[in-house]
Amino acid sequence: MDFYSFLYTMAHGPLLWISFLTFILGSLLRIILYVNLSRKKDKITHQHFNLKYVLMSLFRWILPLNRTVAKNPIFTILGYIFHICLIVVPIWYVGHISLWEESRFGWTWASIPDEWADRMTLVFLAIALFFLLRRIFSRDIRKISTLSDYFLLVVTALPFMTGYFLSHATLDGVPFLGDYMELIHILSGEFMLILIPFTKLSHFVLFLFSRGATAIEFGRRGYTV
Amino acid sequence: MAEDVNSREIYEFLKTRIGARFRTWLQICSHCGLCANTCHYYIANGNEPGMIPSYKVRHLLEILKRKGRVDRKYLETVYHTVYHECNMCRRCTLYCPFGIDIALMISLLRSMLFSQGIAPEGLVKAIENYKKFGNQMAVTEEDWVDTIEWCEEEMAEELLGLKIPIDKKGARIMYTVNAREPMFYPQDIMEVAKIFHVAGEDWTVPRKEGWDDTNLAMFCGDLKTARLIVENTFKRAEELEVEKIAITE
Repeated sequence: MDFYSFLYTMAHGPLLWISFLTFILGSLLRIILYVNLSRKKDKITHQHFNLKYVLMSLFRWILPLNRTVAKNPIFTILGYIFHICLIVVPIWYVGHISLWEESRFGWTWASIPDEWADRMTLVFLAIALFFLLRRIFSRDIRKISTLSDYFLLVVTALPFMTGYFLSHATLDGVPFLGDYMELIHILSGEFMLILIPFTKLSHFVLFLFSRGATAIEFGRRGYTV
Repeated sequence: MAEDVNSREIYEFLKTRIGARFRTWLQICSHCGLCANTCHYYIANGNEPGMIPSYKVRHLLEILKRKGRVDRKYLETVYHTVYHECNMCRRCTLYCPFGIDIALMISLLRSMLFSQGIAPEGLVKAIENYKKFGNQMAVTEEDWVDTIEWCEEEMAEELLGLKIPIDKKGARIMYTVNAREPMFYPQDIMEVAKIFHVAGEDWTVPRKEGWDDTNLAMFCGDLKTARLIVENTFKRAEELEVEKIAITE
């Protein structure tokens, strides 16, 4: 077995398991650690817990119904679109669903049309590029950016870029890249999943707790949640 | 490394106070920059990137990363940031998608600096006064009562029957002031007395400590004294069995 076949087998098997389990269990662990520590050290959150404020706040911020949207409409709307594409395409792309169907789980669900997946991927990549340029060229954003901010943006965009290349055979004429695009695509997706619980990408779930804790604190003081 | 900085103490101080919220905030802040134009320091300094709220709390992460091993000079930089570039107004939090409370982190840094004896001179002096006299201006009980009685006499010439009741048990409102009022601006107390009198309000001021409603200890993160100040006021309110506490301004 050559190195490529070995990697291919790994990426389709053990690495896939490792990445999904790291993502799922890691995220669960982050939640457990948060709740545990907050019980000990953020007593204010628990003493004044108020579900109304939490839900109100999440509603406002998961949907574009908050004051930041009014203040910075362009950036925030792009941010919302970015996140929608990021979640929808990998889950509802027909190619992915058919892999789930072929897998030991045999799961299947409705897919979005290929055209949509294509367009959303391109929109996602365009916004990612905009974010990257903004980080590089905006005086403000460059000042607050860390190495990991650049790195994670690339890590997040890579599965989408390679996915597009793969499904359109864009780079098939290019040596190496053309031959290994599927492998690169899978590995890049697995890499991103593994990084989520350990980096700022964990905001996908910790955001709920951070938002909620501040909503409780601000709500009881009569501020906007 | 300067010997007057106790690295272990700094680290321990922060570690025991870093809860789930702080930890999460430090990690999930995506450096999106949406807090920038919400900060009046940022805007007032010609959109200075160094004033972006999310940038200001970098010190907290840095000190934790270095396990408290920072020198005096670094702490002075922190001092400059937390006292001269942020007044903990929390406006940035109102605009942060994650609700990251920058002001709370700045406050923690102020507390840490205070634990190392770094705080603005004026606040340190006020804290001594709070501990000794129960108010920031070192007004003695005698001077306080004298001032109130004098205010009452002055105003009674203008409004017949005006009283400033001291320690009146069972009054509806206990009124508290800024200690600068008896010291420099007694006319403020007179004006309020006038309003209460004309409104026919049942009110009183406490004789003992607890009448100063300022809490300067809070601003440098001396939470022990901050607590003492608030407790004094509540103790008086309970003793006098009042319904409400009113504060000046």
